Amino acid sequence: MSGTRLGPGTLYGAIARLEREKLIEPLPVEERRQPYRLTAKGLRVLRAKLATLHGFARAGLRKLEAR
Amino acid sequence: MNARLVRQLVGLYPQEWRTRYGEEFYSFLETHPSNLRTVLNVIGGAMHERVLSLGRFKMDRRQNSLALMLYASLGALAAGINFYWTVDDTPLAAAMRNYLALFTSWNLVRAGSLLAFAAFATVGIPVFLTIVRTAFAAQRWDVVCRLAVPPCAALVTLAWMVAAARLSGGHWVPTPWDVTGDWTAPHDWPPLATRWALSSVTFVLMMAGTIVSAISVRQAIRRSDLSKRRRLWFAAPSMLLAGSIAVMAIGVLSWGWFVQQYAASDFHVRDGGLFSSTNFASWMASCIVFLAATLMAAKGARSALSLKTE
Repeated sequence: MSGTRLGPGTLYGAIARLEREKLIEPLPVEERRQPYRLTAKGLRVLRAKLATLHGFARAGLRKLEAR
Repeated sequence: MNARLVRQLVGLYPQEWRTRYGEEFYSFLETHPSNLRTVLNVIGGAMHERVLSLGRFKMDRRQNSLALMLYASLGALAAGINFYWTVDDTPLAAAMRNYLALFTSWNLVRAGSLLAFAAFATVGIPVFLTIVRTAFAAQRWDVVCRLAVPPCAALVTLAWMVAAARLSGGHWVPTPWDVTGDWTAPHDWPPLATRWALSSVTFVLMMAGTIVSAISVRQAIRRSDLSKRRRLWFAAPSMLLAGSIAVMAIGVLSWGWFVQQYAASDFHVRDGGLFSSTNFASWMASCIVFLAATLMAAKGARSALSLKTE
């Protein structure tokens, strides 16, 4: 999404942490691939994070335009 | 990425992590191109997980009880050795021959140490054999290596003491209890600065050996399945251990009280230890460690008794 490709160690570090915090959960394996999906808690947290980022970006843009 | 490299990289992660993610991570890595950046990234991830895993995976009550008994035993052993060397070959040992109360307190410590050893052996030997047997059966060499740490640490310390004693003329062994005090050192002992330096190394080896042994055996316990061991194996010896260490603590405390009454001047002379402390300070250190060991053993016994609720 951001155009950055995570290394396998970084990616699985993030997966382990998100699963520990019950923000994602595993789905059945598909041809040796292990998909994950957001849990209800994960959706709530993601929505809140994105709203914060959205507000932060809007405030930043307003400041820039006011200069 | 080739299968051998993938296997080696996955092997860097903690065992608990591998149980959960090993298979899917293996498949994921196989589809990845093999380059230095990826390898370094996986090594970094493995190190990170190892650091995180240190405090994450909790022990069950059996393991917790066993670890507490181990700490209590090591603490009691260290305090007992210090107490023995505080008294041995000093005027305090002579005072014990003249005062029954002092001698009785000393014997209380000796009786407590025998009971504690019996309790530790009762639970320790069968559990040790179980851990070794299952570790060999499952080829868990990490567990075997951890169990080998305490004897190795003891051997290293002993080898150092023998080597240092030989190098310094063979008339003096570098223990932390025979350095300087309110006495004149025998003429065939090495100079004071040498005694300080060599004894400091022994002290560091003893402390490091005790700490590393406690950590290693705890990790071996945590990695072993003790769930088939019955509650009785833990509950009865853990209570005996807690009781006997408490007896030793009472013995040491009462010994200090009586020696203050009967041989106060000998109690307050500098005792020859590494830190130039008095017999009183050494006794105080033993008391503190004995009381801490009693608390840990009591906590271990409580944990073992609560097994019935599991």
